[in-house]
Amino acid sequence: MSTVMQRPDATAGSETIRTLPTRIRARAATDPDRVAMREKRFGLWQDITWSEYWDKVSTVAHALVSLGVQPGDRVAVHSENRPAWLYSDLGTIAVRGITMGLYPTNPSAEVSYLLRDSGTKVLIAEDQEQVDKALEVEHECPDLEWIVYLEPRGVREYDHPKLMDWPTFLERGRAHREQHPDLLDRLAAAAEPDDVVTLIYTSGTTGPPKGAMLTNGNVEFATRTLITEGGFYDPPASGDDVILSYLPLCHVAERAATTWTNAEAGVTVHFAESIETIQANLKEVQPTLFFAVPRIWEKIHAGIHVKMHAASRLKKLTYGFWMKVAERIGDKLVANGGNHTLTTRILYGLGHPFLYRALRDRIGLRKVRAASSGAAPIAPEVLKFFFGIGVPIYEIYGMTENAAVATVNRPGRVKLGTVGEPHPSIELRIDDETGEILTRHPANFAGYWNKPDKTMETLDTDGWLHTGDVGVWVDGTHVKIVDRIKDIIIPAGGKNISPSEIENSLKTSPYIKEAVVIGDQRPYLTALIGIELDMIGDWAQRRNIPYTTYRDLTTKPEVLQLIQKAIKDTNERFARVENIRKFRMMPKELDHEDGEMTATQKVKRSALNDIFGDLVEDMYANRTEHAGGDLVSVHSVEVAEPAEEGAT
Amino acid sequence: MTSRTATSTPASSPSTPTVPPTGSSAKTSSRLRRGRPELYTDYAADMAMFNTPAKRLWTGLLLVGLLILPFYLDRSWTSLFITVFIFAIGAIGLNLVSGYAGQVSLGHAFFIGLGAFTAAYFGGTDPNFLGLGLDMAIWLPMAGIVPAIVGWAVAPLASRVRGLYLAIVTLGLLFVGGHFFNEFTSLTGGPNLGRTAAPPVLFGVDFSSAGPLLGIEMTARQRIYFLTLVFVIVAAVLARNLTRSKVGRAFAAVRDRDIAAEVMGVPLARTKQSAFAISSFYAGICGGLISLTSGGRLDPINFAGAEGLFLSVTFLAMVLIGGPATISGSLMGAAFVVFLPRFVETVAHYVPAIGSSGLFSVQQLENILFGVFIVAFLILEPRGLFGLWLRVRNYWKAYPFSY
Repeated sequence: MSTVMQRPDATAGSETIRTLPTRIRARAATDPDRVAMREKRFGLWQDITWSEYWDKVSTVAHALVSLGVQPGDRVAVHSENRPAWLYSDLGTIAVRGITMGLYPTNPSAEVSYLLRDSGTKVLIAEDQEQVDKALEVEHECPDLEWIVYLEPRGVREYDHPKLMDWPTFLERGRAHREQHPDLLDRLAAAAEPDDVVTLIYTSGTTGPPKGAMLTNGNVEFATRTLITEGGFYDPPASGDDVILSYLPLCHVAERAATTWTNAEAGVTVHFAESIETIQANLKEVQPTLFFAVPRIWEKIHAGIHVKMHAASRLKKLTYGFWMKVAERIGDKLVANGGNHTLTTRILYGLGHPFLYRALRDRIGLRKVRAASSGAAPIAPEVLKFFFGIGVPIYEIYGMTENAAVATVNRPGRVKLGTVGEPHPSIELRIDDETGEILTRHPANFAGYWNKPDKTMETLDTDGWLHTGDVGVWVDGTHVKIVDRIKDIIIPAGGKNISPSEIENSLKTSPYIKEAVVIGDQRPYLTALIGIELDMIGDWAQRRNIPYTTYRDLTTKPEVLQLIQKAIKDTNERFARVENIRKFRMMPKELDHEDGEMTATQKVKRSALNDIFGDLVEDMYANRTEHAGGDLVSVHSVEVAEPAEEGAT
Repeated sequence: MTSRTATSTPASSPSTPTVPPTGSSAKTSSRLRRGRPELYTDYAADMAMFNTPAKRLWTGLLLVGLLILPFYLDRSWTSLFITVFIFAIGAIGLNLVSGYAGQVSLGHAFFIGLGAFTAAYFGGTDPNFLGLGLDMAIWLPMAGIVPAIVGWAVAPLASRVRGLYLAIVTLGLLFVGGHFFNEFTSLTGGPNLGRTAAPPVLFGVDFSSAGPLLGIEMTARQRIYFLTLVFVIVAAVLARNLTRSKVGRAFAAVRDRDIAAEVMGVPLARTKQSAFAISSFYAGICGGLISLTSGGRLDPINFAGAEGLFLSVTFLAMVLIGGPATISGSLMGAAFVVFLPRFVETVAHYVPAIGSSGLFSVQQLENILFGVFIVAFLILEPRGLFGLWLRVRNYWKAYPFSY
């Protein structure tokens, strides 16, 4: 491991275990003036050094103690990604507390549930929006004692006994630190591998979210496997690497990609201004390591197509030519496990000055040396595209309950369509009967918070974690995910069908953003389609098809035909029983706050059945009341009500 | 912890801007910024004149080119370059008042003339005319200061009117000034006669004779080349910095909408006045040096009446062709206008329709081309040559996209 292991401060006893805060402290001692992270404020990427980082972490830790946080108490963070998120997280761990993250998009009802379920004592809320959510439900949460807010704008005038602003909070921490200078040392020495450090609430596509408890030991093992041994990025991350943090930190993947990678490898983290500015921030930061969920990769991919449509003819010609070459390179690479051959190297070298270098620069991936995709299945076409332009994406598989430690595609041994090989130091098997993927290793979580029955269902007595995913071995080495067990469709006809495979194939069409395949206990398969507003809007404009809103666009016959064609294309790739016979357009964009998606942008199937039940019945009852079609014809409907706002 | 971190502002309090970090992180920053031109960690880098490595590289190459050029050029080409440099100073001046501040001025030739004769007065050694025989270190600044004062004094008249009326007022200035030049014979020598200009003796070094410069033996022309090159660089850098400052932004605000600018708190009269004064200063420096292009003689007729108007229009052409509101455009415009006649002459040898036996003379063609270029640029590319460059740059900037 790195030299950081030899901790320079001798104050802590020899039995002090390594945790995230001790890593920060060690870096602050060895590299005080190196930049740990940057945050963009007032148009500048402002440096935060390791010593400043540790100073803030220890201040927050003391402040939490001064607010009465005891070991084992829960501290919630409800904020977009920003340095204060990390300060709060590590400050909590430093006092042996438990961090719980809330998605900024969580509506107040969910906030209430999460605060109540976790029994949160202190909530660190970002701004007025989050404070309002908390105050709305504060009376339902008896354990909640303090709400610390980061942005005073709008909150300053609030008069509530539980509110405290961030500067006051830090001031308390400094005062407390002066009185108890050795507190953190004592707490660090007392820390145990079994201490729960974070509750990560699973997205809950079915039922209410459950808080998975991860311990120091889990985090240590995950850090070692994913970061030190290159499970996340191979070759492993180092202090010269630059990353952009933009996915929600309450998700285990981003926690690993940002907090853990930063603490362990010393990479410089840049916090994106917001999820909307990723493209611009990417271009500025040009990270060397990049982790994204499929949705982001698809968005970048689709964005390139939209922009190329508007490019001048000469640019289109060169782009077209070199993309053909890139396709060849992509195909070769994929067939070769991600290894370059002499031909692909030469081809790539030729295309680099003409297209690839510039293209990668514009999308902000010019300096990316390793990229990964996870948290959901990604379409092979998208992977191939990025391989072709020289951004190899390695699909990684894991889940909250095993701290994201399961499988990864290693450079040179990539198999498209699989999630890769199990990490060398873990046990992974596929159940013979159910086909469920099981893992057993030190990063298997400690259980669900306050839900021993659910824990029993997931962690069996032998220590195997039941992932709930059905998988198959490919060539005996790689794992291919079939689907979530719960999602497998058993049509009235028989044979089990994996909807996500069909859905992903549908989603490779640049025009389709969401696809939900339906057919459980039904005679045939159907699909609900959500369109990609940017792409179809652009497409409609170029064809002079006037439209007003998202909903209006979904009822255009031309659009329906476009979708019909995409469905037919997909059908060709699947067996006959797996073919989609009918489709209906979802009249709105799916949204977390309306309960149609989880905070991680996964479709909640159960909720959709309620919300769009009439659309489904429309198909199986052979009616045509809603815009959609079958494989032969399409039908649109008049938008009766004034179309609702289709804005994102 | 160090006192610096202990007292630093809380990272998440937006109401208190922290000072952008400097010092120890600067080294890491520059390493990090390589290949990341848009990652700004301090405002200085963001606002730097050469804020990208590419700009630094190309400016450096241009400079090196200009430094070795005179050793490979013949006499007449060196002279042309000297003319470009001197005219460029005047063009920058006109661009400040017309391009940046949006105040059309046809009186530029008057200020150039004023600078020329001021220089002649302070530096002139000819006993037949007024002259104090001072060093260039004095007469050159005076050649700028006196027109600046005059510009400052007449600006209140000009700043009361806009557009076409302003053009007429400045045109009037040109004719009043021309009368003054023509009649003040003890200073100017009178029309068609002229007088000798101030010799270019800077700190005792006579640049009009051959000799060593910085240890290298040079001809008089080469020495003047380097002298004027230094002047034009200083003038351009100062102007560029001026336009990036509060004053420059005030100029642009006044140009874009004077009423809106006034509402925002830009003092209208004073801004226009300083635009005229600064512009006149540049014109005066250009005038002080202009005798270096004409064999050391000054004739008032060149700055008065129709000739003066033609000179003013020539400078306007440099601004319009080069690119209004750009300093590098002024340089390009000056080069274009100065090199055009030489180009036409060269072409005339191969095209039988041009020349004494053809349809029109070289001189006529030149004038026609001037007109055509001005009209063409106004219609097709109002941002001038600089705009053409911008197009090329933007083409590659977004490549392979179009925006």
